[in-house]
Amino acid sequence: MVQEREPVIQVKNLYKIYRVGRNKVRALNGVDLEIYRGEFCSIVGTSGSGKSTMLNMLAGLEKPTKGEVIISGEHLERMNENQLVRFRREHVGFIFQSFNLLGTMNAKENVALPLTFRGVPKKVRMDKADKMLDLVGLRKHKTHKPNEMSGGQQQRVGVARALVVDPEIIFADEPTGNLDSNTSAEVMELMKKIVREQNQTLVMVTHDNHLASFADRIFHIIDGKIVKIEDNRKNREVVEA
Amino acid sequence: MSVKDLLKMSLSSLWRRKLRTILTVLGVVIGTASIVVMISLGLGLNKVSMEQIEQYGGLTTINVYSNDGGYGYYGGGVAVSVDGSDSDSDSQEPVRIDDAAIEQFKHMEHVEVASPILSTWVLLRQGVWESSASIRGMSHEALEKMDIDIKEGSLPEEGGELQFFYGNTVITDFYNSKTGQNPYYENYDYEHPENNTTADVDFMNTPMFVIFDTDAYYNSQYGGTDENGAPVPAPKKYMVPGCGLMAGSPEEWGENSNSILCDVEALKAQLKKVFKGKAIPGQPTNKSGKPYKEIYYNQAYIRVDDMDYVTDVQDQIRALGFQAESNVEWMNQVQEQSRSIQMALGGIGAVSFFVAAIGIANTMMMSIYERTKEIGVMKVLGCDMGAIRNMFLAEAGFIGLIGGAVGLLLSYGISSIINFVTKATYESGISYIPFYLVLLAMIFAVFMGMLAGLFPALRAMRLSALAAIRNE
Repeated sequence: MVQEREPVIQVKNLYKIYRVGRNKVRALNGVDLEIYRGEFCSIVGTSGSGKSTMLNMLAGLEKPTKGEVIISGEHLERMNENQLVRFRREHVGFIFQSFNLLGTMNAKENVALPLTFRGVPKKVRMDKADKMLDLVGLRKHKTHKPNEMSGGQQQRVGVARALVVDPEIIFADEPTGNLDSNTSAEVMELMKKIVREQNQTLVMVTHDNHLASFADRIFHIIDGKIVKIEDNRKNREVVEA
Repeated sequence: MSVKDLLKMSLSSLWRRKLRTILTVLGVVIGTASIVVMISLGLGLNKVSMEQIEQYGGLTTINVYSNDGGYGYYGGGVAVSVDGSDSDSDSQEPVRIDDAAIEQFKHMEHVEVASPILSTWVLLRQGVWESSASIRGMSHEALEKMDIDIKEGSLPEEGGELQFFYGNTVITDFYNSKTGQNPYYENYDYEHPENNTTADVDFMNTPMFVIFDTDAYYNSQYGGTDENGAPVPAPKKYMVPGCGLMAGSPEEWGENSNSILCDVEALKAQLKKVFKGKAIPGQPTNKSGKPYKEIYYNQAYIRVDDMDYVTDVQDQIRALGFQAESNVEWMNQVQEQSRSIQMALGGIGAVSFFVAAIGIANTMMMSIYERTKEIGVMKVLGCDMGAIRNMFLAEAGFIGLIGGAVGLLLSYGISSIINFVTKATYESGISYIPFYLVLLAMIFAVFMGMLAGLFPALRAMRLSALAAIRNE
């Protein structure tokens, strides 16, 4: 059993159909899922399975063809682009595969950037960014530019940037895709630790079963359908499709 | 996102690509400078002509003439015959300027001063120095209100004996009656006008002899005879005291600078005394050739309180049958001309500004292509679409602002070079940059920059966040 039964993400009967020439490609083919507050979930699938499309839908970067995406009680499929931007600003943190730090800003400024978009005064946002960098263990690299840091360090900055806005949900798209295995493990441990400590919800997309196993629950996705949900905490399969 | 953060980000991304920013700004600098310098030339020309108009009696003055067109301002006694009946109007009695007409003018709305002008040519003599001069009788009120700068003495007194007030260039008309030479024009020095010599005439302290009946004088000089064949006796000379001198050097030409002013009533009395029983030269005669009892004025001087009403008053006077002239028509013509010059010159400048605007648009477009990913990341992280648009608009606006400011500095430089080079011809400068032009140029540069940046900014705003972050 899951301790908290409050679903923060609800997906109902979600379809995404792309047209490629004359063919229709069903990237998502009727997905239903629920993710609860404080969970660390991963979505695993091979390339082309629809896992990235899934994440884009959840983050409001893409519109579904059919179905509902409800996050904290709000229907994403009904929002226009401006509302989606505001929604992301207020509820979501994002960790990218290729870090996507702004090269002109140092670590601290990068972390503070989402707060800038919220209109937080400079002093407050710099203090927060400072604390976040301490938390991810980059005490010594606060004024370094991204090109002066290693990949692992850059992704730590990325994690700090996602966490600084104190979001309800954090999305991570192949967060360790550009890192070697040792660094990957470090970053995964870091994410897991922080999510635990801050009681945050994290949804991670990956193709790597090993990395996926860091999560509490693992959604296996094949050809646009969820085929299996593993619950690591009970270490048994809950659903089998 | 606060405005301060937004502007800061815009500036920092401009700063990041210094060379490209500088090149784009350079385009705006040249564009702004060419527009401003061109317009300043147009304005300068306009200013020069306006100053000229000001010198010739300002813009609120109307000169009124009678409509018989003949006995004129200079009153040389050449009355054009009015009995030649080639048209209807000729057979009518001409409308002449008398005291009643002056009263009428005075009571018109917006008329500040209305004065008769009675002018007559006389011969002035002091020692060997002689000059043929026009004296101009005007009402005391008008003389006082004409803002004449007095160097010495005072304006002619009202009523009483005839007194002369000499204009500052009157002295240049005196010649030596023995040699026939005019010392002023004989030795005129263009390079150093301060070295010019003038006739040795003292207007204030030495009496001036005045011959009013110049016809009789020349007749007697050159042995003319009257109708009966008897030689004409030399006319009487009158001594007229000087009451004042106008300020200014003999080189400074201006309204009334070449006139000898006096009180009109005193002049009338004097003329009546001099030409007792005879026709006063320059006065009209009736059909049988006899003069009228009354002395008619050659002209009337009218000043209106505001130049906007000059045309109105002029029309009213014309409706009464007089001829009325003012500088307003001249000025309108000059202004129209300078407006079209300004348009043509400004147009030339506008072309280079247009090129600069294309440069801005190009730079912004490039910048957006380069920063696609950055824009995508910002959108994913929750940066408002409007804020993204504004950030790019602000960048384009900054290019305009910096380019405009530097362009204005350059304009001032070019303008002063032009003024220095043309100093000989245009004393007060042919290129003139008023403050409002500075302000307008700045606003224009910023506005044009933002306009050029609008399309790129909208494009940045509409970039799909997803496509942008995938763009590796």
